[in-house]
Amino acid sequence: MRLALLALLAKEPAHGYELKQALEQTFGAAYPQPNIGQIYVTLSRLEQNGLIQGQDVNQSRRPNKRVYEITEAGREALAGWVAEPTEGPRVRDEFFMKLVLAPATGVTDRLALINKQRRHYLNIMRGLSRLAAAEDRNNRVAQLLIEGAMLHLQADLDWLERCQEELD
Amino acid sequence: MSRPGPSPASTAPEQAMLQVKDLVKAYRADGATSWAVRHVDLRVDRGEFVAIMGPSGAGKSTLLHLLGGLDRPDSGQIWLDGRRVDDLPESRWAVLRRRSIGFVFQFSNLVSNMTAADNVELPALLAGTPPRQARERREELLTELGLEHKARSTPAALSGGEQQRVALARALINEPSLLLADEPTGSLDSRNTRDVLRLLSRCHERGQTILLVTHDARVASTADRVISLFDGEIADDSAVSLPANGGGTVADVVQLKG
Amino acid sequence: MRAVLRWEFADLRAHRGQAALMVLVTAVITVSLILANALLQNAGNPWQRTFGQSNGAHLWLHVRPGVDTAPLARLDGVAAVAGPYRTAPSTLVRSAEKVPLELRAVGPALPKVSRPLMRSGRWLDPSVSNGVVLESSFARSMWAAAGDSVTVRGLDGATHTMRVLGVADTADQGAYPNWTPGLGWVLPSTLGRIEPDPSHTAQTVGLRLRDPATTDFTAQQAVTALGSDQVTMVSTWQQVRSSMNLDNRLLGLLLAVFGLVALLAAALAVAGAAGSRVLAQVRDIAMLKAVGFTPAQLVRMFLYEHSALAVVGIVLGTAAASGIGPLLPSPLGEAMTFWQAQPDHLGALLATGVGAVLTIALATALPAWRAGRVPAVPTVRADRPVRRMSLLARLALLLRLPPALVLGARDAFYRPLRAGLTIARLAIPMLMITVALGSWATLDGFRDHPERVGLAATLTAKPSGIDAASASRLLSRQAGVAAAYPGVELQALVPGQTTTITVRGLGTVARPYPFALAEGRGIQDTDEAVAGQGALDQMHVKVGQWVRVMTGGTPRILHIVGRSIEPDHNGEMLSVGMEALEGPVGLPQPQYYALVLRPGASPSGVRAGLLAASHNQLDVQLTTNPADQLGAVRGVVIGLVVVLALIGLAELVTATGSGLRDHIRDLAVLRAMGLTPRQVTAVIVTSTSLLTTVAVLAGTAVGVLVSDRLINLQGHASGVGAGIAQMPPLGTLLLAGTIAVVVAACVSVVPAARATRARVTTALSQF
Repeated sequence: MRLALLALLAKEPAHGYELKQALEQTFGAAYPQPNIGQIYVTLSRLEQNGLIQGQDVNQSRRPNKRVYEITEAGREALAGWVAEPTEGPRVRDEFFMKLVLAPATGVTDRLALINKQRRHYLNIMRGLSRLAAAEDRNNRVAQLLIEGAMLHLQADLDWLERCQEELD
Repeated sequence: MSRPGPSPASTAPEQAMLQVKDLVKAYRADGATSWAVRHVDLRVDRGEFVAIMGPSGAGKSTLLHLLGGLDRPDSGQIWLDGRRVDDLPESRWAVLRRRSIGFVFQFSNLVSNMTAADNVELPALLAGTPPRQARERREELLTELGLEHKARSTPAALSGGEQQRVALARALINEPSLLLADEPTGSLDSRNTRDVLRLLSRCHERGQTILLVTHDARVASTADRVISLFDGEIADDSAVSLPANGGGTVADVVQLKG
Repeated sequence: MRAVLRWEFADLRAHRGQAALMVLVTAVITVSLILANALLQNAGNPWQRTFGQSNGAHLWLHVRPGVDTAPLARLDGVAAVAGPYRTAPSTLVRSAEKVPLELRAVGPALPKVSRPLMRSGRWLDPSVSNGVVLESSFARSMWAAAGDSVTVRGLDGATHTMRVLGVADTADQGAYPNWTPGLGWVLPSTLGRIEPDPSHTAQTVGLRLRDPATTDFTAQQAVTALGSDQVTMVSTWQQVRSSMNLDNRLLGLLLAVFGLVALLAAALAVAGAAGSRVLAQVRDIAMLKAVGFTPAQLVRMFLYEHSALAVVGIVLGTAAASGIGPLLPSPLGEAMTFWQAQPDHLGALLATGVGAVLTIALATALPAWRAGRVPAVPTVRADRPVRRMSLLARLALLLRLPPALVLGARDAFYRPLRAGLTIARLAIPMLMITVALGSWATLDGFRDHPERVGLAATLTAKPSGIDAASASRLLSRQAGVAAAYPGVELQALVPGQTTTITVRGLGTVARPYPFALAEGRGIQDTDEAVAGQGALDQMHVKVGQWVRVMTGGTPRILHIVGRSIEPDHNGEMLSVGMEALEGPVGLPQPQYYALVLRPGASPSGVRAGLLAASHNQLDVQLTTNPADQLGAVRGVVIGLVVVLALIGLAELVTATGSGLRDHIRDLAVLRAMGLTPRQVTAVIVTSTSLLTTVAVLAGTAVGVLVSDRLINLQGHASGVGAGIAQMPPLGTLLLAGTIAVVVAACVSVVPAARATRARVTTALSQF
């Protein structure tokens, strides 16, 4: 979340609650949003690293809020993050291990495992469909996110089929 | 297309819409026998929406063709609406298909030298519906599918999605007991897929029994029930529902980092 | 039913061009069938009409004077007797022409049996002592009409001026000059004046039978009753009819045979087109089955569609034939007019139409049945087994032959069975065109090489008023005459004695006449003879056998050593050397001389020269060449070639369409690979042209064989004799073949260009 907050602050200074609202607006209901507490923790870490600068603002009838703005170092870090190709594993998978090693355990057979996992995927897919229908058609970002999830799910299902073909 | 509402699925075996016992179909090529459908038992109740998934070559299309009478099983029994149909001669099957079964394929669903309107009306005329009534129903269906301005076009002038929608209209014009679809969205892009899916859902809501073959998980998840066909046999047959924990969000699949 | 109609209309609309072509072909076939029918009917009609109206006699006998003919009336099956009438031979002189005329003495009343049908003028009048009524074909060729004066010379040489009182039709004998002598009716007193010597006269008796089929038997009985040495000539109604209708019947038969074969070829073309349509619409048919059409419905659909097209074509053809037929040049126009006046012509029209529809329906039956059997599962087309490029193809590419040529060749013969069928279907019209060309060449052979078909002598000279010695002197001195063969023609009774044939003494053993021999050898001895096919058939003998004939009361035993080609008299001609006809008075006097001219000599020049040199005492005529009378056949041949070309065109269109369909996927791939559209078009054109070339070669080769056989068969059947067939000249065949291939290339260019212009992506995505 650090870099998302940095990017938002690069546009204009804001305080924690505003940042939370901005995140929600971008992704809508498609993606669960962090709570305000997690945001404050991340913000203070960023300030500790010198990437943003906070300033308390006194408000008359409300508690004080701390407004943050990005620093030069922060802009550099942001530029570096955007410029680099994004690395790291694409998929985090716990199922394949189960599938490969399950028969040895004697607990369950592969076919049952596969069927159960497939049902799970299909149910998720159904949920995603509902989500897409409920979400605003014009919120392209949210719709794309949902579609991305669906495509990954399709890939998982195809992989499942291949495993079923090859592993028995 | 105005039925009172989804009728409750009946559990008594005599009232199942479709019942299949021990269906077998094999192909012989170059001396080797390959089993397309192996001892399949199946039951579909009225108003159910069933999807059949499986890797290619698993026999999904063959099963659908057997259920629609387009191909003959080597052995086994098929009951449609309580009547035994697997031993019907080809001409009786054709008569059955007119009124009771609607077919949608993946490609070339339409007769190439007739307009969209003629294509849609054809089953109605075949079944003996008076031409005026057929025309009214055709206009109704095409309007509902958003194609009234394309009624006079030939299939060559229609896009893939439009062709599939016309095919769907044609399959539904006689209010068939059973709608069979073989990869209806297989050759469509995501937008057209969405449209066709929406139509299928709407039909389902009105009580249409649907049996479709697909490899697309999104299509399958729209169904009530998904059957997995593997190597000609049924590997799994389960209902589809929303995830238990109220999930089914993107976060179940993708974790956004950054 | 409505669904079926809906589909059929849509289908016809989508394939307008093909449907129109089918309709055109059917219409043209119908027209030719109707014309053939008319000609055939007309062939029998004039005789039929005349015979019926005149109460004709089935059998005519010429007997010696003084013979009692009463027994004839008592024969079994004889309903009535005409005559006996006295007859006398004479010569009609008209300007420079002298023609044989047989005068028949008939009482002032019109005879009841075989009554002459007056065409113009009036019948014999006792008050006009020199009146004569001429038979109409004779009068026509003599340009004599009622009221004219003609000169008749009797055997004794005395001339009599006679007045033509009228012109009449009769069914007693064939048309002049096919049948000689001509016929004229006179009063008995007139005959007595012209031929006072009773021994020079003869009697003629006509018998009308209850059952025409017993004519031959009755003839035999009649001859037996009177004594075979008393009967000089016998003629039956069949002989008269065939003589009257020789031309038309040949023409009609030719047309009928070709029309039927053309109908078969058209049926094949229709079947091919229908089959190709079924293949093209396999997808649609599968869809129709999925929608709920039963196989029986599909079969019916195809049958109805094609039968409907056939019916349209037939109706159009019938209307065209009925409307334009009578306006055609004769004999076709005349035949059509007569035929349309017949009461049963509508029935015949209907029969022709129904027959044609049934044939086409039958031809469509197989493709229609296949349409019903198309599997309902809309399969993606199975991949053909990939074959590596053959050694030949690789070699061709090595030689840097254009890729279009190599690919086109490979394409054409990729599926040998399909290619074979296409070649067979294209070869059939080519075969028939070759046969038609063979007929044309045969006719040319009659014209250009008459000696090969028994017409070695271009001129015939008849001495009238000079003796044989001076005649032969004149002839041998005439420039341009290569040889003059003395000849005499007699009637002879054949064994079995049912009919007479002509025995011709021509040439001598020392200087034999150059007969056109198809079998055996020429005459080398006095008792040897060569016979025409008609004579062999009539006498039921073969070459090498011996026969006994009676000529003028003298029996002669002859050894038939060869078969000659006899275009005259239906081939019922037995030819011997003059010595064979030696009788009690020695060698017979030559009646005429057959003149063979030197090469390059002009017949009319020689004729003029002889007439001048002999002071008109030599009557010189051109020998009739049957090719002249069969001139209408040429027109028929042209018409047939047109029809066959149309059928061939229809087949080409079908072949191109199906070839394109087979390769449309390959074309797209080729274009994606980098061949220019023009090259791709060249591939298709090459493929079609190659198939056509093979078809042309095959069709022509088989056609030459078949043509030979067919024409010789026709010659055998008509009595002229087998051996008349000529092969079509090589140049013509080459031209025809080249035109066929060029047309094939042109026909395939347009659809090929259109196919290649189609977007690559759409073509590929179809599969």
